[in-house]
Amino acid sequence: MNKIFGPLLIGLLVGLVVLSSSMYTVDQRQNALVFQLGEVVSVKKSPGLYFKLPMVQNIRYFDTRILTLDAADPERFITSEKKNVLVDSFIKWRVIDARQFYVSVAGDETRAEIRLNQTVNDGLRAEFGKRTINDVVSGRREEIMKIIRAKADQDARKIGVQVVDVRIKRVDLPETVSENVYRRMEAERKQVANELRSTGAAEAEKIKADADKQKEVIVAEAYRDAQSVKGLGDAKASALYATAYGKNAEFYAFYRSMQAYRESFKSKSDVMVLDPSADFFKYLKNPRAAGGK
Amino acid sequence: MAWNDPQWGNKDNRKNSGPPDLDELWKRLNERLGGLFGNKGGGDGGGGDGFSPGGLPGGGNLVGLLIAVLVLIWLASGFYIVDTGQRGVVLRFGKYVETTEPGPRWHFPWPIEAREIVNMDQVRTVEIGYRNNVKSKVLRESLMLTDDENIIDLQFAVQYILKDPKEFLFVNRAPEDTVLQVAETAMREIVGKNKMNFVLYEGRAEIADRAKVLMQRILDRYKTGISISQVTLQNIQPPEQVQAAFDDAVKAGQDRERLKNEAEAYFNDVVPRARGLASRLKAEAEGYKLSVIANAEGEASRFVQVLSEYQKAPQVTRQRIYLDTMQTVMNNTSKVLVDQKGGNSLLYLPIDKLQQIVSQPYSGAPDVLSQPPATSTPAAVDVRSRDALRNRDRGDRP
Repeated sequence: MNKIFGPLLIGLLVGLVVLSSSMYTVDQRQNALVFQLGEVVSVKKSPGLYFKLPMVQNIRYFDTRILTLDAADPERFITSEKKNVLVDSFIKWRVIDARQFYVSVAGDETRAEIRLNQTVNDGLRAEFGKRTINDVVSGRREEIMKIIRAKADQDARKIGVQVVDVRIKRVDLPETVSENVYRRMEAERKQVANELRSTGAAEAEKIKADADKQKEVIVAEAYRDAQSVKGLGDAKASALYATAYGKNAEFYAFYRSMQAYRESFKSKSDVMVLDPSADFFKYLKNPRAAGGK
Repeated sequence: MAWNDPQWGNKDNRKNSGPPDLDELWKRLNERLGGLFGNKGGGDGGGGDGFSPGGLPGGGNLVGLLIAVLVLIWLASGFYIVDTGQRGVVLRFGKYVETTEPGPRWHFPWPIEAREIVNMDQVRTVEIGYRNNVKSKVLRESLMLTDDENIIDLQFAVQYILKDPKEFLFVNRAPEDTVLQVAETAMREIVGKNKMNFVLYEGRAEIADRAKVLMQRILDRYKTGISISQVTLQNIQPPEQVQAAFDDAVKAGQDRERLKNEAEAYFNDVVPRARGLASRLKAEAEGYKLSVIANAEGEASRFVQVLSEYQKAPQVTRQRIYLDTMQTVMNNTSKVLVDQKGGNSLLYLPIDKLQQIVSQPYSGAPDVLSQPPATSTPAAVDVRSRDALRNRDRGDRP
């Protein structure tokens, strides 16, 4: 037992070392190329545990996740209206053919990105050149992105890469043009403001004028009606007087005159200079004066 | 120093003081281990000391213990806890095996299995156009073009959680950065499709909604395993350079409303007042009419009654009325009897003095009567009516 234990342990350790150099794992996020003497022997696309010949074969891993290429500075393009735009875009890509990827760009992500960037920019330049700013910003944005993605993907396959998406992040106008846009926006707003104010004033005037007009009409009509009513009253009163006084016009004259005299001479400051021979005084001198009429 | 170096023994001998137990223990361990490795060295080198018969089993036991402990530690490294809101993802030799639910878990330790814990429910936020608070703007991110080639300033935040840990870990290299990129591209696309007035004023909610839908669609296409919970527009306004003009336009709208309201108020003041005046005029007229008619009825009735009495005894009634009237008149006035028989001598009447006797002051000159006794009836003094409102009527009366 003892004799075996030692060599056993040694053998175990050696075995482990040998084993570990002939096993390797491929992660869920990777693909692996198996090289033998500098040549690609096989490609491992599924994750798991694999075996290889130790020493003779070695492995190279490639990240197969989706990567992003996002340029730091925007690119300048010219639209069909000969206007400049600054465009910031990003590319989503991933390695799908590790062997091709290795063969074409030596598995270097940076190199791959340079090439992708160029393809995409060429595509953008071409598409923007055919379209107006409005197309690019609004109507045709999606369409342009689709076209460029298709083109870029087609080219990318040559290096074992799939272009998942090309998206335009920002389309901006250059500084000087932006200034002009601001001036235009300002002017347009001022116009809107003026129009609002003037229509407001006009409507207000209309309402006020209408109010005044109605006032005039109402008052005038009321005055007219009032006069008419007063006239009715006067007429009725006149009719009543006429009917009554007309029964004996002479007596009315007498009676009314008496009333008039009574009302006219009722203040001590009224001075009457009278002749005593007036009929009123006839009994003053003679109690048996002629009978009054 | 090799294990079987006799110096060990010397060291022992030098240390006479010190805890003897530990020393003993150390010595025995050395011997056993020395025995074990001495054998190995002998096996490799091809020659060595013999082994102590009692060395190996005892040494084997301790080593076995050690190995057992190591194995236990190794196995224990497979324990892990998944908190609520998290998920554990287990890989075996790099291959995805399972997603584990919250609770205490265990997996085969490395190199067989490995785990990664993903926080699913934690709400993460991405800010675009600003940092921390809306005041610190990032103009590069916040200024964008609208459909009518105007520029607006938009700041928004996107909140998201994870929905698929497998996709989140394995499909994209930097899924959280992706959220930022997708947020910008989606929002700019939506804003670019709409007119400025819509984006600034009526359409805010709709813009946020549409952007959220688009973002989710893109993120799902990339299989990021991320679910967007909310897109919040923090601030949409015109760029600073033109804000004054925009504010003024808003104020102009308010001014317009104000002017209209003022006019309406004027209308509501003037017209009802006019109606009130109209009612008053009509009521006054009615009142006048009724009073005039009533007066007339009264006067007429009075006259008619007197007339009927008169007709029964005209002469007497007339005389009576005449004398009553004259009495009242004479009673109430100042009189001067002048007996002039034919002579044309001027008579001087000190009317002023007469008037001074009168207690009541009387403004205005009296009508001085002429001397010749032509008429017996006293001159009349115009009676002016005092009530202006009944002016016309008195004049018109028969």
